[in-house]
Amino acid sequence: MKSHDLIIVGAGLSGMRAALEGVRANIDVAIVTKIHPLRSHSCAAQGGINAAVDPRDSWESHAFDTVKGSDYIGDEDAIQIMAREAPIVVLEMDRMGTPFSRVEDGGIAQRAFGGANFDRTCYSADRTGQVLLHTLWEQLVKSKVPVYEECSVQKLVVDGAGHVAGVVALDIKSGEVFGIRGKGVLIATGGYGRVYASTTNATTNTGDGMAIALRAGAPLGDMEFVQFHPTGLRTSGILVTEGARGEGGYLINKDGKRFMDKYAPTKKELASRDVVSRAEQTEILEGRGVNGAIFLDLRHLGRQKIIERLPQIRELAIDLEGVDPIDNPIPVRPTNHYSMGGIRTDKLGFSPLKGLFAAGEAACVSVHGANRLGGNSLLDTIVFGKVTGAAASKYVQDQKLPEFPQGAVKEVEDMIGELLRRPDTGVKPAAVQEELSNALNSYVSVFRTAEIMQKAAEVIPVVRAKFKKISLQDTSRQFNIELVRAIELGHLIDLAESIVKGALARTESRGAHFRNDFPKRDDANWRKHTLAHWDPKKEEVVLSYEPVRTLGIPEYEPKERVY
Amino acid sequence: MSEETYTFRIQRNTPTGNGRFDTRWQEFKVTLPTTSTVLSALEEIKARQDGTLTFRQSCRSAICGSCAMRISGRTRLACKTQVGSVARDKVIEVGPQTNQPVLKDLAIDIRPFFERVRRVDPFLKDGPESAKKVTKTAYDQVNQVTQCIMCGCCYSDCTMAEVSPAFLGPAALAKSFRFVSDPREGMKTERLEFLSQPDNMWSCSRCTMCVEVCPKDVKPMEAIVKLRTRGLEKGLRSGVGARHALAFHEDIQQNGDLNEFTLMMRSVGLGGTLAELGSALHLMKKGKIPSPFPHKAEKLGELRKIYDILEKNPLDVETKAAEIVPE
Repeated sequence: MKSHDLIIVGAGLSGMRAALEGVRANIDVAIVTKIHPLRSHSCAAQGGINAAVDPRDSWESHAFDTVKGSDYIGDEDAIQIMAREAPIVVLEMDRMGTPFSRVEDGGIAQRAFGGANFDRTCYSADRTGQVLLHTLWEQLVKSKVPVYEECSVQKLVVDGAGHVAGVVALDIKSGEVFGIRGKGVLIATGGYGRVYASTTNATTNTGDGMAIALRAGAPLGDMEFVQFHPTGLRTSGILVTEGARGEGGYLINKDGKRFMDKYAPTKKELASRDVVSRAEQTEILEGRGVNGAIFLDLRHLGRQKIIERLPQIRELAIDLEGVDPIDNPIPVRPTNHYSMGGIRTDKLGFSPLKGLFAAGEAACVSVHGANRLGGNSLLDTIVFGKVTGAAASKYVQDQKLPEFPQGAVKEVEDMIGELLRRPDTGVKPAAVQEELSNALNSYVSVFRTAEIMQKAAEVIPVVRAKFKKISLQDTSRQFNIELVRAIELGHLIDLAESIVKGALARTESRGAHFRNDFPKRDDANWRKHTLAHWDPKKEEVVLSYEPVRTLGIPEYEPKERVY
Repeated sequence: MSEETYTFRIQRNTPTGNGRFDTRWQEFKVTLPTTSTVLSALEEIKARQDGTLTFRQSCRSAICGSCAMRISGRTRLACKTQVGSVARDKVIEVGPQTNQPVLKDLAIDIRPFFERVRRVDPFLKDGPESAKKVTKTAYDQVNQVTQCIMCGCCYSDCTMAEVSPAFLGPAALAKSFRFVSDPREGMKTERLEFLSQPDNMWSCSRCTMCVEVCPKDVKPMEAIVKLRTRGLEKGLRSGVGARHALAFHEDIQQNGDLNEFTLMMRSVGLGGTLAELGSALHLMKKGKIPSPFPHKAEKLGELRKIYDILEKNPLDVETKAAEIVPE
């Protein structure tokens, strides 16, 4: 059986950055990824990466903005690490070759982003994620890290002593199921946007890492905090960067009027995302939208600025909405975008399950708390890719290779074999996924109430029962995407249950979790993290809670969030 | 939004073992708004008509590079292509990328493509040619080519790759230019030396197909031309490609016309010319060999004017770096 010291699952920014730390520590590190590294969804991040690189700015200010943005539920130790490391990792990326946009004297250009007290977002036009991803892939090629490309991890394997012993993967290309032994596993598989019908996320963002960790016994943190981006394209949900507002873009309603001054008098369009999304949804609900959307108006920026700073946005608006933003406003609406929740870890990325680490969107470290600031996710991926990669590399050096339990590979092989041999039941996985994602979209969205969310809670057992009956048309082994998606659907159901249960239980409003029936934040009872666990006996998700990691700094004390 | 019923004629490739395929064309009817993408049509077919239809996709927004495939005679990103823009009599033909091995249906084996990219050492190198400081315009050359998402459209439609599988290909060459034009790159000359070897930058026939099909406006062929210009500037003139370009240039500048006979001698040398003797005799029989004596074009003055304009407006291949200042 194949074996490595550290197995990294996922080859986006976190996974590749972590692998480079493994190389630096001189351990045997390998990456397993279900898509080629350059296809990872990190590439779709557009606007930029926050870092206090300007001498007039400070990491303390960045940390403060992040604590406030998190609605006081982010873990302060981790937030400080992120803000402090930010300038270091950005300059490292610059040296590795990322072509950041520059200012006159050659310094890295920065733009304004929501919820920040300084123009702190470093960028490369409107394709920052893409250039960062390609830079890290270049370094990965240079370092000759082995990558199991187009291999989907099916199971996190745990030995008799409760320590992670490796993974079982499906080679999508050949259909072969195989095990990889390891002393540690680092999950960097990103988010689960496909739980929602309308999302900015790639179709491959199915939260696989979170789901297999949950089933292996690791808790997921704060799954009820789901970010809705204020500017997803109306039809497809494709992202339009916050940088478009950072460059001066307005949000207008059907009357052509700006409305953000009503909701966030100071920051207006650049309030934090939860605030802007709720403002938009209110405009739409009160009849000032058009076909479920309001508009992002860039016309006043002028042709030159749009072409120079937002070229990709212009292309996407033309290709996918038939609108050239030079001449017309772009129809947009709040759209599922990002998971603040994920595999619960400490500030170095250790999960409570021994030998399991997590970084990036798949993790809940938690630097984003109840609401992530724009420009902090690329930063999170690279800082905690580095920090967790280093911590995991150090950890595995002191470990013996655990016994890989007999039967783990066979268990997965049997599951896949049974699914492929199952006679036609008429229940199509695509239809089941539609039912699930439509329910989440309709019932667990920007505005929530117990009554409405209950409908989603009722859909989950129905969908789970249907999932057990699905059958596939493609029964071949090679490159069976229908099979891969069916397995992913199982992951989405577990994650949806974690989201719905967490959201129903949290009887307050905080960050992205807004309840009309509990419109106030309740620090006395709810300034704590939700933990979702898989109960194998009941075959359902159960909840527990743990306190926020605070540092006792007076500025971090909860206050009303005004922008 | 107006809807239409389209017929998708899709190439199905079913692996039958030992790298062989059962290849057939299958038709599906889908009713969609004319502005829908080809990718959403394929997803619709997979979800409701035939779950076995296999293709790669991911981001849906032309940035991950997964869904490059042949659509109505060109390789395009399915997520960026509107059905209405490619339908002919409401029929859209879809097949896998060409010049590369197929895995199943529309999915190809991407490994040979990335193998070519790896050959150019796709990472920034430290070295004697690294600039220490960059300016605002430092990446004016780099920015065009770093738009590349490695989707493979250019390689799939490359007319040279079609006849010469050893050719490095447009994407790998554009990637190489990304480093050669970066002020921070330390091994620019070494890279140009590698690129001057056979099957690399001089093997492009400049047909412009890659520029035409690139969904991200990378303009690979322009990068290739810039690499050649830089190579010649660095004195890398001994390869067949460089010698051919220089001989071509010399003929046109002097006579306004080519002397194919001596051009051959100057490009591939006496040995190379003798090796081609068989083809030459064959061509002679068909009357395809022009006179070996020098012949001049009429109105050479007009040609001089073209040269004047080109010399006053040279191709911008400069890397914009600040002076190298000692730290």
